[in-house]
Amino acid sequence: MAESGNTGGREELLKAVASRFTVEAPRVAPDRSVWISVAKSDLADLQAFLKREGFDHCSAISVTDWPDEDQFEITYHLWSYGRRTLVTVKTRIDRTQATVDSAIPLWGPSAAIHERELHELFGVRFEGNTDLAPLFLENWNGPPPFRKDFDWRKHVRETHYDEGDPRDRSYWDGSDGAGSA
Amino acid sequence: MTEATGTEAMAQGRRDMNGYDLYFGPAHPGSGNFGVKLTVEGERILRARSDPGYLHRGFEKLMEYRTPLQNAVLSDRLCILESLNWNLVHAEAVDQLCGTEVPERAKVIRVIMAELSRIQSHIIWYGVLAKALGFDTGFKVAFGYRDYVLDLFEFVTGGRVYPAGYLCPGGVRRDFPAGTEKRIWELLRTMEKMLREFEAYDSKTIAARCQGVGVLGLDDALRLGATGPVLRGSGLAADVRRDAPYEIYDKLDFEIPTREEGDALARSIVRQREIEESIKIVRQALDRLPGETLPPVKPKLAGKIPAGEVYVRNEIARGEAAVYMRSVGESGPYRCKIRGPDLLHMIPVLEHLLTGAEVADVPAIYWSLNICPADMDR
Repeated sequence: MAESGNTGGREELLKAVASRFTVEAPRVAPDRSVWISVAKSDLADLQAFLKREGFDHCSAISVTDWPDEDQFEITYHLWSYGRRTLVTVKTRIDRTQATVDSAIPLWGPSAAIHERELHELFGVRFEGNTDLAPLFLENWNGPPPFRKDFDWRKHVRETHYDEGDPRDRSYWDGSDGAGSA
Repeated sequence: MTEATGTEAMAQGRRDMNGYDLYFGPAHPGSGNFGVKLTVEGERILRARSDPGYLHRGFEKLMEYRTPLQNAVLSDRLCILESLNWNLVHAEAVDQLCGTEVPERAKVIRVIMAELSRIQSHIIWYGVLAKALGFDTGFKVAFGYRDYVLDLFEFVTGGRVYPAGYLCPGGVRRDFPAGTEKRIWELLRTMEKMLREFEAYDSKTIAARCQGVGVLGLDDALRLGATGPVLRGSGLAADVRRDAPYEIYDKLDFEIPTREEGDALARSIVRQREIEESIKIVRQALDRLPGETLPPVKPKLAGKIPAGEVYVRNEIARGEAAVYMRSVGESGPYRCKIRGPDLLHMIPVLEHLLTGAEVADVPAIYWSLNICPADMDR
């Protein structure tokens, strides 16, 4: 409760990061979280630095797809139980050669499971993660489905549309299937 | 290479009666839409491998095609057992991106509904744990009491389980109907009666099956990404409501129950004490409820989410829930990553706890984590 007036050393943290790494557009957001963008080559070192600074919980890892720029953006959301601060580390990687080093050496199994999910849904390879088996999809041979250029509506229509089913017709063609069956 | 066991051994034409595979779920009455493959030798589990995906609906992708008010309704389904809490995480992410000032009364209503949802979710956990331990009375008593909470949800939101995005971007879909406060005060008294009943059973039934079972040390809990009651049952007093307060939690007085033991019983005690704390929170919130009336939130035509990105965390009944939302100024989010507590609890934590355990302890370990396949698979 006494936290609200306290910046929790967020500005200082940002300065310490900026003095060691080349960061783009660092900011402290109004909700008191810290956002940092770095080059892929600095990713592991920056996270190791944050870990030494007391960030002990890898809350989530996420991928955002930017097909027009031919890039994936990977975001690491790191929380410190001691400092009560959230840091989001972002980096851009090449979309056609989508590989990045695994964060398992730093965050352990909690990072492994997020990486496994992202490999399945976006097709990003995490070097050093030996268990990238699919989590959710069975017998799926198509492209990673969460990529922006995968149109699931088109896919469903092509593979599952049954012209003989009035419900399908009503959904896809907007025609009233009642009475025509 | 280690010697083949289980199905591998059978494939090689050997009958291996010492090492074989045992499936817990997805058709087990206590498993939910989720399975875990156990490689066992006698009664001892050598390996556990989670088998998720039975409830994958692709919500993150679906949300990219929809507007925030439509997504509020989708967010109900992120976890069937605590839909209002998920409503709130999603609503806060949109509010932050849009810079919406939520009226004080709506904030208080959000907290009341989220806490009642937490109580309701913990009641389900108690019931299903009791059922899994062969204690059917506890199951029936718990689900009987849960209906009192659902009656209130129906009265306020129109839905018993799915509130249709009641906690939505901008506040709440509509104000409390007349007479709601009186009903909540009554409900809290009923919940206290329920807790006394639970206490009377616990000393024998639950302790006998849970004590010393599924012990999770604090180092392992952190390494495996445990949050919520699972982490607090291993001794760390971490709670997003206190560590990074949202809505009106910074003005409320409540405790963070913890236990040092890290076993299934510790997690049970933490959850029961959390019901007490939630009752305390709802009482304080009711006292703070401002008198004005709220206009209903209506969808905006051609409304756009301003470009930006947020990562919003909430404490829900099962642990840390978060939404990473990215907007490029369109009517819907460009990307909506949903982080539920159960992806971590049901895969790394569960596999870790089951390895080396006895087959008979599987239900106790499984339900002591209070897992929900829906928010794992999304």
